[in-house]
Amino acid sequence: MNHLEIFLSWSTFAFQLTLCAFLYARKAQRTLPFFTAYAIVILLNMIWLWFVYQVFGFLSAAAYYCYWISILVNAGMRSLAIAELCRFKLGGYRGIWGLVWRALAGLSALFLLHAAIDTWGQPNRFAIYSLTLDRDLEIASVAILAVLLLVHNYYGLSLEPLQRTIAIGICFIAATDAIGYTVLQHLYTGFLFPILSGDHSSLWRDLLPYSVRINDLWSTVHLSCFMFTIGIWCYALRKPIPARAEAPELLPSDVYRELSPAINMRLSTFNDRLVELLKP
Amino acid sequence: MNQPVVIIPLAIALVGIFLWILSSGRKSQKTIDPSFLSIDALPTATHYGYFPQIRQALSIADTNYLRKNAPPHVVKQALRERRAVARGFLKGLREDFSNLSRLGRMIAALSPEISHKQETERLVLSFKFQILYRLVWLRLAAGNLPLEQLEQLTGLVGRLATRMDEAMAEISALSAGQTATGLGA
Repeated sequence: MNHLEIFLSWSTFAFQLTLCAFLYARKAQRTLPFFTAYAIVILLNMIWLWFVYQVFGFLSAAAYYCYWISILVNAGMRSLAIAELCRFKLGGYRGIWGLVWRALAGLSALFLLHAAIDTWGQPNRFAIYSLTLDRDLEIASVAILAVLLLVHNYYGLSLEPLQRTIAIGICFIAATDAIGYTVLQHLYTGFLFPILSGDHSSLWRDLLPYSVRINDLWSTVHLSCFMFTIGIWCYALRKPIPARAEAPELLPSDVYRELSPAINMRLSTFNDRLVELLKP
Repeated sequence: MNQPVVIIPLAIALVGIFLWILSSGRKSQKTIDPSFLSIDALPTATHYGYFPQIRQALSIADTNYLRKNAPPHVVKQALRERRAVARGFLKGLREDFSNLSRLGRMIAALSPEISHKQETERLVLSFKFQILYRLVWLRLAAGNLPLEQLEQLTGLVGRLATRMDEAMAEISALSAGQTATGLGA
């Protein structure tokens, strides 16, 4: 770790502490329990990793495994926080939620399956497994958040400002990590894989400084973006969290059953007439 | 999906879509959030109200009269202007259509149970409408769409609007009934 990385790590730690303090002060665990848990887990992971680095050394096998396990734990908690965001507003609209949660669960299962298949095909390195799995989960996170917003827009709903900021933050960090991990993975499984897998120890020794430099650069980018994300979350939490809006008063089921087919039939007729207009 | 040429543009595109949806959602939020908008306040067919005047302006008899009595350059200019009016009216009809479609989505949002078949169908119909509308608009702009066909289309929207007004009255009555029952319980 170079001086800049150490500085960024401490700054990120300070930001994470501030975020947890804000969450505690705003009693966010009542409205956003999984996001609060996610914030606590990333803080605990950082403390845990620092402890491992101190005891076993930065380049030790223990540090290597702990780092990649922590990445997967963070990804798991982030997924739960996203699920919470999905349910936050839509949960009150029983009809839409009944439809949307199945669609989102299906989409998540599809992404998870893809991530598993993608990971399965990677060279036998734990880091590459974690990196590929996390990278695919990051892409899935952005896609699911985009679908969630699309559903909100389509039905004329809107996320609360805090939830919107959380979604922006997750989307930003997930996209940055996905891009960074892709570049790293391409380097290690593409250009460097023959060197890593074969008996080229002397060549690898020459390339090690470059590899360290790449890791340092990526670490700097990742920490800066992560700090920025935590910064916008802290900014959103500067005001007290508004009380949760009451569930909307729903219409009787008959209204939808009677009117929806009628509306669709009319819309379909309208389209048919447009098609007739276009006939020569 | 290992190549950076796939993943990196995909990630950037997804973030772009995310931000676009976010900004468009914020713009439209104030007008369509069912939690604070009364269902009675949604206009079904504002532009349809101008249908008699537009029909008169676009009538074949009117065109024939012009051709008989006005010099060719005046006829040409009048037809051009009438097509511009027709385009504007078509745009208004799209607004009416989208209001009616929005009504369908609002009913779905406020229903305790919805059918995925109905919702998918409405989504597909809306996509189809967007494409067809653009094609019709292009034909109208190119000047090869007979105006009497537009008249038929307008009539259809009118009938749709009438039906929707009835539907909204039914919803209001049902909602009022529900509130009364709730208060009585």
